[in-house]
Amino acid sequence: MATRLTCKTLGSACLGMTMACSAPAAFALTDILETPARETRLAPTHLLTDVDSAGERIVAVGERGHIIFSDDEGKSWTQGHVPVSVTLTAVDFIGPETGWAVGHSGVVLKSEDAGANWAVQLDGVQAAELAIAGKEERAAELEAKIEEAPEEERGDLEWALDDLYFSIENMRADMDIGPVNPLLDVWFENDQFGFVVGAYGMLLRTEDGGASWQDWSGRLDNSSGYHLNAVTRITGGALAIVGEAGQIHVSVDHGETWELRDSPYPGSLFGVIGTGNVNEILAFGLRGNVLLSTDLGKSWNIVPSGASATLNGGMVSEDGRITLVGNGGVILVSSNDAESFRQSYREDREGVMSVVPVSDTNILIVGEHGATVTDARGQDL
Amino acid sequence: MSNPKHDKGEHYLTTPKAEPFLERLIFNNRAAILFGFLILTLFLGYNAVKIQPDASFERMIPLEHPYIVNMIENRDDLENLGNFVRIAVEAKDGDIFSKEYMETLKEITDEVFFLNGVDRAGLKSLWTANVRWVEVTEQGFQGGSVIPDGYDGSPASLEALRQNILRSNEVGRLVSDNFGSTVVYAPLYETSPETGEPLDYAQFSRQLEEQIRSKYEQQNPNVEIRIVGFAKKVGDLIEGIGSIAWFAGITIVLTTLLLFGYSRCISGTLVPVFASIVAVFWQLGALRLLGYGLDPYSVLVPFLVFAIGISHGVQVVNAMALEAAKGFDPITAARLAFRALYIPGMLALISDAFGFLTLLFIEIDVIKDLAVAAGLGVAIVIVTNLVLHPLIMSYIGITKGGIRHVQNHGEKQDRKWRVMSYFSHPSVAPISLLIAVLGLGLGVYYKQGLKVGDLDQGAPELRADSVYNQDNAFLINNYSSSADVLVVMVETPAEQCTQYNVLRAMDALQWELQNTPGVQSSASLADVSKIVTKALNEGNWKWYEISRNQTIINASIREAPAGLINTDCSLTPVLVFLEDHKAETLKTVVQVVEAFAAEASNDEHNFLLAAGNAGVEAATNEVISSAKNMMLVFVYGVVSLLCFVTFRSIRAVLCIVVPLGLTSILCEAIMAVSGIGIKVATLPVIALGVGIGVDYGIYIYTKLEKFLLEGKTLQEAYYETLRSTGKAVVFTGVTLGLGVVTWIFSPIKFQADMGFLLFFMFLWNMVGAIWLLPALARFLLRPERMVAKAQKAK
Repeated sequence: MATRLTCKTLGSACLGMTMACSAPAAFALTDILETPARETRLAPTHLLTDVDSAGERIVAVGERGHIIFSDDEGKSWTQGHVPVSVTLTAVDFIGPETGWAVGHSGVVLKSEDAGANWAVQLDGVQAAELAIAGKEERAAELEAKIEEAPEEERGDLEWALDDLYFSIENMRADMDIGPVNPLLDVWFENDQFGFVVGAYGMLLRTEDGGASWQDWSGRLDNSSGYHLNAVTRITGGALAIVGEAGQIHVSVDHGETWELRDSPYPGSLFGVIGTGNVNEILAFGLRGNVLLSTDLGKSWNIVPSGASATLNGGMVSEDGRITLVGNGGVILVSSNDAESFRQSYREDREGVMSVVPVSDTNILIVGEHGATVTDARGQDL
Repeated sequence: MSNPKHDKGEHYLTTPKAEPFLERLIFNNRAAILFGFLILTLFLGYNAVKIQPDASFERMIPLEHPYIVNMIENRDDLENLGNFVRIAVEAKDGDIFSKEYMETLKEITDEVFFLNGVDRAGLKSLWTANVRWVEVTEQGFQGGSVIPDGYDGSPASLEALRQNILRSNEVGRLVSDNFGSTVVYAPLYETSPETGEPLDYAQFSRQLEEQIRSKYEQQNPNVEIRIVGFAKKVGDLIEGIGSIAWFAGITIVLTTLLLFGYSRCISGTLVPVFASIVAVFWQLGALRLLGYGLDPYSVLVPFLVFAIGISHGVQVVNAMALEAAKGFDPITAARLAFRALYIPGMLALISDAFGFLTLLFIEIDVIKDLAVAAGLGVAIVIVTNLVLHPLIMSYIGITKGGIRHVQNHGEKQDRKWRVMSYFSHPSVAPISLLIAVLGLGLGVYYKQGLKVGDLDQGAPELRADSVYNQDNAFLINNYSSSADVLVVMVETPAEQCTQYNVLRAMDALQWELQNTPGVQSSASLADVSKIVTKALNEGNWKWYEISRNQTIINASIREAPAGLINTDCSLTPVLVFLEDHKAETLKTVVQVVEAFAAEASNDEHNFLLAAGNAGVEAATNEVISSAKNMMLVFVYGVVSLLCFVTFRSIRAVLCIVVPLGLTSILCEAIMAVSGIGIKVATLPVIALGVGIGVDYGIYIYTKLEKFLLEGKTLQEAYYETLRSTGKAVVFTGVTLGLGVVTWIFSPIKFQADMGFLLFFMFLWNMVGAIWLLPALARFLLRPERMVAKAQKAK
């Protein structure tokens, strides 16, 4: 711990030294939140869960706190210095310099040097404290409401209050174990404003670039605490969150209030992207289900994708082509605004988690066994 | 020598008294002694025939090494982890998606199911019900057997099969990456649960050959069958022991021919061969009575015993022929030969025996057994070839042809010996020494590359081009698997082996190891937990992590493979798959584990090395490298001491031992150059080579000293030495070489290595004794002082 404190007090100038500072303690089994990611050449070929562009640079995150970046379209990779060894689940860069990554143990990491060095902004204990505080606040509000409510409404409200107390008890019990729950996605609008989503309905908001966070989960209609799997911004300015059990939440007021949309599919949704057209949302998930809405989710079309494997991630290229990727090596491509998709499979049949464009014709996919540059249909070059 | 009646043999060595007590005892009771030998031979021979092959795994490993102690302590919990066979059925033309192929695979699966020793519940193939595909749906999991319902071999059902295989996660495990073959995986019972009898590896391996390989390759010419696994390997090894019988036959025939060419005397040929075979029977019989079996190492000892017997027998025949040529009757010739030979012979044999016994310092049972078997054998040779042999010869005598041969060839031989006696000449000796120093330099230079352990791919016991190793290479190339597995055992308090901290620690160790050169991959409960946690979360890779929540961990490992958790959940292994089993690889990996264990072991989790074939090899390598130098010190110490006690001169010791040392160093250089590592099989070679190699020096030096004491000059004395014993020494080197050279063709790799190295050492030690010993004598011996000293002693 002493060496780590030294690192911290010396500030970011020392961050580059994180590996050196902690090397002697490599075997001492500290908590994975306090174990810096091991410097390894294996990172580009092991599980990567998400990838994003940071200007010209490509940054990918994965298991064991791996964050790697490439300046040559995925040919070679450099590993960033990350102070934790948890499995990371998502990364989002707002420009060439600043980005966030989230992962297990409720960790939020931030980099301001294009992914070379990362610092912890939030961990699962703090996240849980925020969530508990938020719930207690809601419970207090609810109690007050029950006092004032007419007799016939009290029963329902008391049920809701019991749910809240139950959920608070659960979270307190989890706190005894430690930071148990993962964050699953992150989205930032600029260097100040952003959201992270996670397991059991976790939703946090920041307005100061992650320095402080607010529990925002009470703003969603998700009393069962279903997992929230993805968050993004739709062309036109609306925000969308999708999750377990077909949940689709949409906000048109910059995240202040959220509405739960009627989902045409009851299974889990793992990703959501805009199609590039105003107010068009494309959500996808389990068993190759692809849902398209052109009116911010008020109505939905089920797009016949032809795929039966879970879809994990997607992107829209500059020319409007939409690519979705998923388990079993499935790659779906649409050139007609998601009206229909052409499916192909990668020969290795390994799971693909996320995708970014690397040139007009090629894409970079990450997944079960790391990063690969392929042609537009996911076939090896 | 010219007047035998006055040849009283002043020298204390050859004839302390004119008719030593031992000689009187033996030659005055010839019939009684021979009868006793007959009874003994019948009794021991009966036992020898009943000796059993025994390829016990345990005897080949260093039982005292802490790794092995740990392994054996936890063996019951690890038992079924490593004992399985994998039968790959390859479609030679096209891929596995054909009706005929699938039919053959089905029949093979059924056949394997009924083989004795197979754990039927664990049997896996595309045709067994436990191989399933699984898919996540809104309602949870959905799955089915890989063979589609209503499979009929039609193109449609084969296509459905292909889809199921792709969904099943078995590509790389049961189905090769290129769909060119599939595997029938059969875990085995170490002991039958029904009868409690241990698995008969030889029989099981034979069944695999007959009922699986040849049967189905014949039935469907489009399939090729490959079988790997510990049981098959041991089976092949036991099979290999059998081929030794052929080598024994060839060796006996070659030796007999050589012996006849040498002596031109039927009795001088057959009697030593007979006496040596008797020695072999005695040795085998005695071994059985002591409770030993024949393992792939000790099966080689009879060859040594035979060769040593012959080489001493030759001395007897040689001496008798010389005496007979002087006109003595058989019994006198036999007595004189006995009188001249029993002390140097015994000395040589005792030093052989002691050389072998130094092997007892190596804590590996097969080597200890080898020491006992060889020591016993040599002790027996003292009786059979120094007593039985002259006794029989005293009845039969050397034939006229044999005597003529000695007389006729005298002159021609003498010229040759005359030339060779120049090795001791003042102007030749320095050149010899220079060459020796050069050889030493080269040897020291090349032996730097000497490695510990086995260096080749695949099963090191068998040859690289053996069927087993070819099969093994096929599986390594087509499936995600490695043949070299190191198992780290993680001890925990009872019922605690699945705790988060334990899994987390194992995971940390695994990642250290995977970042270590030479490690291919690793597996443990931590991986199972991560994979299943992912699966339980709808197959989402974002959940690929060990949960801190114990309830989730417990759910995730409910279906963990047997062998990853022991009965009271106090032991769980980390399996480390290595790229090879080279000593450096093992050493690096073991060091990483030891450093980790030192830091991370505590009350919750204690990391222990090691099991798995790589763990055993790592332990063996450690024992071998630490034993090697000690063994060299002991074997040279013992040999030097024996020489010193006999000849009472440091200079004599140097003359005899320095050529041996040169041979040892050259032998190590040859090992380094030809890629033979120091291992269980080759370590004894050094002791055997030195122990037997010293014989030549002793025989030569004994004579040389005798002639020097008679007042001859060094070169003259050496000429006489060569005349009287040179031929026998050369012949001894050749017979010993012949005795081991056939092993080079053994299907068992380490036997071949041993044969090659011993062949080199036996021949080269002979060269060293004849060529280098006289050169050293030129510089070291002071003949005048020796004579003075001897006279003073008298």
